[in-house]
Amino acid sequence: MRELVLDCLRAVRAPLTAILLTLALGFVLVSAIADDPVRAYRDLLFANFDSLGNFALFLNRATPLTLIALGVIFSFRAGIFNVGGEGQLYAGAIATTIVGVTFTSLPALLLFPLALIAGILAGAFLGWIPAVLKVRFAVDEVVTTLMLNIIVLLFTSYLANQVIRDPTSYGAVSRVLPEAIWLPALPGMRGATSGIVIAVVLACLTWVVLFRTEWGAQLRAAGTNLRFARSVGIPADRRIITAMLIAGGFGGLAGTLYVLGIGHRFEQNFSPDYGLVGLTCALLARIHPIGALATAIFYAMMINGSAYMQISTDVPRSLVDLLTGLLVLLMTARLARKGQRA
Amino acid sequence: MSAPGGDGTVPSPLASRSGIAVDDQDEILKLSAIAKMFGDKAALKHVDIRVRRGEVHVICGENGAGKSTLMNILAGIHQPDGGTINLNGKDVTIADPIAASRLGIGMVHQHFALVPSMSVAENVFLGRHPRRLGLFSDRRAMVERTRELIDRYGFGLDPETPVRSLSVGQRQRVEILKALAFDAELLILDEPTAVLTPPEVDELIEVIAGLRQRGRTILFITHKLREVKAVSDRVTVIRHGESISTYPTAVVSEADIARDMVGRNVFLVGRGAQSKPRDFGAPVLGLKNVSVTDASGRLLLNDISFAVRAGEIVGIAGVDGNGQTELAEAIVGLIDIQAGSIELAGKDITTATVPMRQQAGMGFVPEDRLDRGLSVTMSIAENLAASNYQRAGLESHGLVVMSRCTAFAEEKIAEFDVRGARPAMPVGWLSGGNMQKVVIARELNRDPALLVICQPTRGLDIGAAEFIYARIMAAADRGRAVLLISSELSEIFALSDRIGVMYSGQLLDMLERSRADEVTIGALMNGARIEAA
Repeated sequence: MRELVLDCLRAVRAPLTAILLTLALGFVLVSAIADDPVRAYRDLLFANFDSLGNFALFLNRATPLTLIALGVIFSFRAGIFNVGGEGQLYAGAIATTIVGVTFTSLPALLLFPLALIAGILAGAFLGWIPAVLKVRFAVDEVVTTLMLNIIVLLFTSYLANQVIRDPTSYGAVSRVLPEAIWLPALPGMRGATSGIVIAVVLACLTWVVLFRTEWGAQLRAAGTNLRFARSVGIPADRRIITAMLIAGGFGGLAGTLYVLGIGHRFEQNFSPDYGLVGLTCALLARIHPIGALATAIFYAMMINGSAYMQISTDVPRSLVDLLTGLLVLLMTARLARKGQRA
Repeated sequence: MSAPGGDGTVPSPLASRSGIAVDDQDEILKLSAIAKMFGDKAALKHVDIRVRRGEVHVICGENGAGKSTLMNILAGIHQPDGGTINLNGKDVTIADPIAASRLGIGMVHQHFALVPSMSVAENVFLGRHPRRLGLFSDRRAMVERTRELIDRYGFGLDPETPVRSLSVGQRQRVEILKALAFDAELLILDEPTAVLTPPEVDELIEVIAGLRQRGRTILFITHKLREVKAVSDRVTVIRHGESISTYPTAVVSEADIARDMVGRNVFLVGRGAQSKPRDFGAPVLGLKNVSVTDASGRLLLNDISFAVRAGEIVGIAGVDGNGQTELAEAIVGLIDIQAGSIELAGKDITTATVPMRQQAGMGFVPEDRLDRGLSVTMSIAENLAASNYQRAGLESHGLVVMSRCTAFAEEKIAEFDVRGARPAMPVGWLSGGNMQKVVIARELNRDPALLVICQPTRGLDIGAAEFIYARIMAAADRGRAVLLISSELSEIFALSDRIGVMYSGQLLDMLERSRADEVTIGALMNGARIEAA
């Protein structure tokens, strides 16, 4: 237990330092343009905690980010540059929705797991395609995952518009899932998805699997030196494919939990680039699951906080983009210095 | 075969230079009391070196003795924490690599910095093309100046060939040309032979002799004793960051240098030295008519059959690239064979996977520890544990127990004398010899019935080599079969009971150690038998 805490502290330290520095630099900028910089910053960081409602929205934002980041971590640790988070997210969301709105006659006890599994499997399938192409035919996974994103986005858009569209609402949204299979909210917090609990548990589980099992060690060996992994008898190809199945499954689960717990239906463009932001979270945490939980929470805080900030002050919400840039800069600057020493 | 051949081509240093009086004016470079700390670790404590103008001066020392740090200080990559650098009679500070080249110091690194798609001339003048009208790069002038340099030093290169199509030895000459194009008076070669095949080493030794004849001063870093004797006028030995001694090469023996390097007397005792006759057991490894072709149908292994018996060390000699790598990979299961069969302890393993073969009792030390032997970013503990989790009992209820991993790693570090190692440290932080010990410690932990070990001491210093030889022999004495693949003839002769030679994918004669001599094997390595047929 102590070692987990220590390891996690180490993992969180790097992004935390960068985050604090970013906020400090950002404050200088905000002071230069805003009439009330302190107010702007307060809103950016703490408006999320002003009301239970705000806090719920913040949790809802952090959940998909964490799950996608965890998926990215699995694939990156196996040496696969998986940038297909967005596609996997949409695949999970659409599969859950289709099952949910189609088999409405099934009892909730059956329909809920069915919808859940459908979402996970759809995401996993989307991870499996580039993994097999990579392992069998050495097809570059960056290209395949990126292309699959576009395919899935367009295909789900078609489904949402033509097949499962709710004709009574405005916009490209599906029919609503039966209320019986909605994910219950966090106790005492209306509108807050309990998916966050799943995300936190899975982050810890990911850490254990990656760093405290032989399987995880084999996966990381395949990711750091494939030829070494093969030489010491690790079935590296199998590990890579499984890692991508899990990565896709996490992305799919993110979409599933969004539909079950937050949106209760499929909405076209429901994701404000969760795939990319989740990837950034994972990379900023140096592909460490607990660190990624922290960065995902931070990002969720900033994304939501910036909206409050824009409403109450004269600072535009695109400040977040600027802070993101700064953060990436600071994190990478740190990494390069480390690399030089090694 | 390499160094003795080179010996003859280099004029005896003392003979050629005995007429020249040596005084202080003759010293191009004086290093006094150079010290360098990395964190709280002293890489260099006190180094004094005097390099005379126009000599080939070897800096010799074990891995981790501080040779590379010293060279990086001269190249301006690191700044010394103490001491003075006196170049041509003036104290200088070498702020960065550009300053170094302005001062006439040219560095040839072990790892080349060349653009493969560009020509020799373009690489030589990369970043400083001669200009026409101060704007357009003057290709013709560039090629001409390169050709001039090549001719002057007899490098035998075509300035317009793309570097991509050159051999490693030729690429190294392009690196040397780069330094010469800067008018480097003092050339530093950092372990230049580490990447070369034996014939290429001979060629390099000739190149160096040519450079010296034309008045260049050469500082040559190595830990290979044969090269010291073949190439240098004088040698300075460094140990643990201190300069220990400087000798004229002609009057010092390899044993003396080795003693100064290690700090004690070293004996590379081989199996040949033991006189008691050995009884070998049943065949452990058996190959029958094994053939391997690459994707384009070229034969990489051509109808190979042999056996290795329990307690026996079979050495496979050969110049690199004659199928030894493929032979090892076919045996351990990393590549498929197209014909023939492989048996391990009486069981057919022709189609078995790598983990199945390991389970059946095979250990594998690959030729390149960075490529296949280790994952350098992972910790020492994890590199040792890979493939040993179950055997070493590192798990409990399916989870890895870190305390057991650490204890296992500490035990192996102590047993194999891995210097400067902590279990949680990335294995890439170790020196080459200590990395190799990690690989061998991992593979021997299973006490495999068959150990396939390739180039076990490549790039290693004597102390580490001595240790690894002892481990290999101990495994054989325990009744394990060992297949030793090496391009280092002395190693083959020191360890093997039987010796085979690979040449262009074929296994030529397999000779008893007692019936083999270096001349026969050397001839076979060059394909003598084939040409006679």
